[in-house]
Amino acid sequence: METISLTSIKKEFTVAATQETAFKVFTEQMDMWWPRTHHIGSADMTEIVVEPFVNGRWYSKHADGSEANIGYVSTYQPYDLFVLAWQINGEFKCDPNLITEVVTQFIPEGPNMTRVKFEHKDLHKLGSGKAVESMNEGWGTIMELYKKQAEQ
Amino acid sequence: MSASERAFNALGDPTRRAIFEKLRDRPLAVVNIADGLPVSRPAVSQHLKVLKEAKLISIKTHGTRNVYEVNREGILAMREYLDKFWDEALVNFKKLVENTEKENSKPQ
Repeated sequence: METISLTSIKKEFTVAATQETAFKVFTEQMDMWWPRTHHIGSADMTEIVVEPFVNGRWYSKHADGSEANIGYVSTYQPYDLFVLAWQINGEFKCDPNLITEVVTQFIPEGPNMTRVKFEHKDLHKLGSGKAVESMNEGWGTIMELYKKQAEQ
Repeated sequence: MSASERAFNALGDPTRRAIFEKLRDRPLAVVNIADGLPVSRPAVSQHLKVLKEAKLISIKTHGTRNVYEVNREGILAMREYLDKFWDEALVNFKKLVENTEKENSKPQ
């Protein structure tokens, strides 16, 4: 199930795994699920790192030996809740003054089933806002955009 | 560069962000946009040009003066960029978790 909100992105789904496994894979193995093509470094990304504690760094490592900060861990509550501060600004650089939250909850639904509730909040800080919220043709415009991107 | 990347780049500058914030409330003429900003009118015009090229704002002509307003398409493009990114990442995540769980539950 997905909820369309213009100031946050929400994703909700279940995984056939225990709460502990889901939490650990999300926090400790991000390198294995993060799309390799998305980074802000100066060379190919070789690894993405999340230090698994409050205020731990969140950054990527690159083929030329450089590192690029993405943000930091703001809440670390195994195995229920994990919150990251996403600080990538408009120039694809890490801006310590910008905080948008990436909140992930892990809710056990059975011995081998976990519900994952994901939300990237505060997108208005990246530029959405009143004009967007007042828009009533939301889906129509979004479909237009898909079409445009597909035709590019 | 895609539309969303252009939009992100345009908002990377603090002055442009300030201008954009102003326009979020209501459409404004250049003179009103420059009001209270610590930059010259020509600089404001230059910033407006960048925002317009990124499709974050658009211009309407009212009589003899230009009024700038937020362009909804450009903003949605930014949101779409992140939405697609997380979709891709979370699908990968789900596959990995479920494979990991299968491995974990195999008899030792």
